[in-house]
Amino acid sequence: MMDEHNSQPGQIIEISIDVPTGETSTGGSKFCGEAPCGLSDAGSKSKDARERSASIRKLLIAVVLCVVFMSVEVVGGIKANSLAILTDAAHLLSDVASFAISLFAIWASGWEATPRQSYGFFRLEILGALVSMQLIWLLAGVLVYEAIVRLIHETGEVNGFLMFIVASFGLVVNIIMAVLLGHDHGHGHGHGHEHGHGHDENGHHSHGMTISTPHHHHHEHPEDDHCHGHEDPADHHSHGDHADHHDHEDHAHHHDDHVEPLLDKPTNGPKQKKGKNINVQGAYLHVLGDSIQSIGVMIGGAIIWYKPEWKIVDLICTLIFSVIVLGTTIRMLRSILEVLMESTPREIDATKLEKGLLEMKEVVAVHELHIWAITVGKILLACHVKIMPEANADLVLDNVLNYIKREYNISHITIQIER
Amino acid sequence: MEKSDSFKYYYPSEKESQNSWNTGFGLSVSDRRLAFSRQASFDQAREPHTPVSINLNDPAKPLLARSVSNIDIPTGLFYSLDESNKYSGEGNGSAQKFSFMLFVFSILRIMRSGNRYMKRLFVMISLNVAYSTTELVIGLFTGRVGLVSDAFHLTFGCGLLTFSLFAMAASRKQPDRVYTYGYKRLEALSAFTNALFLLFMSFSLAVEGLHAFIQDESEHKHYLIVSAVTNLLVNLIGVWFFRNYARINLVYRNAEDMNYHSVCLHVLADSIRSAGLILASWLLSLGVQNAEVLCLGLVSVAVFMLVMPLFKATGGILLQMAPPRIPTSALSKCWRQINAREDVLEIAQARFWEFVPGHVVGSVSIQVKKGMDDRTTLQFVHGLYHDLGVQNLTVQTDDV
Repeated sequence: MMDEHNSQPGQIIEISIDVPTGETSTGGSKFCGEAPCGLSDAGSKSKDARERSASIRKLLIAVVLCVVFMSVEVVGGIKANSLAILTDAAHLLSDVASFAISLFAIWASGWEATPRQSYGFFRLEILGALVSMQLIWLLAGVLVYEAIVRLIHETGEVNGFLMFIVASFGLVVNIIMAVLLGHDHGHGHGHGHEHGHGHDENGHHSHGMTISTPHHHHHEHPEDDHCHGHEDPADHHSHGDHADHHDHEDHAHHHDDHVEPLLDKPTNGPKQKKGKNINVQGAYLHVLGDSIQSIGVMIGGAIIWYKPEWKIVDLICTLIFSVIVLGTTIRMLRSILEVLMESTPREIDATKLEKGLLEMKEVVAVHELHIWAITVGKILLACHVKIMPEANADLVLDNVLNYIKREYNISHITIQIER
Repeated sequence: MEKSDSFKYYYPSEKESQNSWNTGFGLSVSDRRLAFSRQASFDQAREPHTPVSINLNDPAKPLLARSVSNIDIPTGLFYSLDESNKYSGEGNGSAQKFSFMLFVFSILRIMRSGNRYMKRLFVMISLNVAYSTTELVIGLFTGRVGLVSDAFHLTFGCGLLTFSLFAMAASRKQPDRVYTYGYKRLEALSAFTNALFLLFMSFSLAVEGLHAFIQDESEHKHYLIVSAVTNLLVNLIGVWFFRNYARINLVYRNAEDMNYHSVCLHVLADSIRSAGLILASWLLSLGVQNAEVLCLGLVSVAVFMLVMPLFKATGGILLQMAPPRIPTSALSKCWRQINAREDVLEIAQARFWEFVPGHVVGSVSIQVKKGMDDRTTLQFVHGLYHDLGVQNLTVQTDDV
């Protein structure tokens, strides 16, 4: 089959081979390293596509909800001629923008690789998540600025009650979306749609003062169509802490404890195998941050409503809660940064890998070992392996490849064997 | 040593190969798109560098040997359990300590050991911080919202510039276990962040213009003129400092180029914004209706166009796009040349990406006949791609 290559030296032969879909190089074949390429073989592509469509569905529902609530707020704000409601609508708009960016990133990361973009577009997810995080930071700054403006406007048009109502409405909306984005319904359970609709009907039921209450009402009222939702998380280990949630029967304002279990979920993401898509995680963090800030504004509004002289409390609350929000983003920012700097991913122990390679019989040395990730789950490796002069290069290559694939599950490996 | 024999022709001819590479692709000395078009030598562009070996256990090895990397571990001899702990602990520890300690110490080191641009950036940041604090204090005490919002905008900008400064300082660190390619990506990242912030700014200016259009009330009272003028002056000082990079389409030869370009564009955009405000208030005083909307729209569009090329370039680096300076025709030519060799059956794949502008990494996988001399093939392939400017190349040869 390959005999065409045996023609006269110097003759350039163009070989065109039918490229199976998803191949990434400029006209190459289906081999990379004599093993199916983890970046583009059929199995991983369909799994990717499934995960991607699940994430897209979740985000789409969240966007639609957001747009609906935002239009409600805009209409109400124009009718009541209140700046506070309109600013809250603007925050919801920023939510929509961030979700739109995440949606685009998820959709675009499924594009086929091109010769200029030989590794595919998976990195777009990471960049989209980075942009989302920056939006969160920007919004935290804007909120602090607004608190200062509220402080300056001494004319008393600051209506504590109105602030409180608007913030609590925003909080409810954000909690709905947080729950929507946080549950892993997309894994073939098919309850995603019903879940979304269930929440829609029960969305506007309580403007409670503490956050434990609304959350409990969420889970107890639609008990009938919700029980599927809550049996599933018991199986997913990422929702083990969700069970603690339900035991949180006291309605005292322990928002820190409330925040802790929620915070655990995103951190489990990058570490477990079936983690959430990083963009969905980013959207979840965004919504979580909004909820935290709504709490802050609610507290400030309540205090100003109760005692209109203590205006500085609003600013202090907002500052504290903004810092908390920024703290939640730090972990995700760190993992984004590590991927973008092409560093060795945390879950791979490069030293152990090298030691394992050196322990093989014919391997003399290992140079230029580079391990980096394209996106959170897909890892690549490249290194130069120096072998003994009389060894069988092919055999050593096979051994090395099998070892790395078996032990570390790295998708794409390139080994240069030198003597 | 034997292992460096295969690739030893990389050492001497870096300058010529670099020159040939550059002139071969249309980058002449007087290309106006280069940052320093008046300088004739290419000396300041970093030559294709390999990771410097920090193998402390073996001082006999040459420092810049091509095939020696800092991950090289001699077989068995120095390898002990606590050494492995030291390396991995050091790797993880350095990754975490990296953010905090570096940030503190780099500020101290900058005035002493920073290069020209770092010092200038430091001066600019201090100026901006001083200015925005005074503005904030004055705004708080006199109760003028416009001043406070301006101060906030400036503070955001300062934060970004500080991140750029930090990236400049931190990117000089040598590659280590965790960051095997080094830290230079930080500069590209900070350039991307700056570009993103400028895009946000242009969107927010457009929204502000829309707001002014709908509300039809002039928010910019006259006391803001003073602050706008001062802002303009401070930013123009910044533009003067970075005047070499005051261009929209720039050819990036190394990582610092991107960072400096982004800082310059940041200051330029800020000065355009202040100039727009001044223009708007002047037009308003002339009685032109909707002057504010006009000026805000103009500024927003101007900043957007200014930032787009930088955003695309940095985005390309972060997305691991094929190096923009190596045209696809050159790559396919190499492809054909490799295929034309006798012992090569086919090339399975060849992927290239840029770590920072000027540092290209590639991995090639080729199928060869059994029993061929792998050394000559490897030499040939390495040489071919090295002429294109690919520094780190890994070639996998599969016998069929």
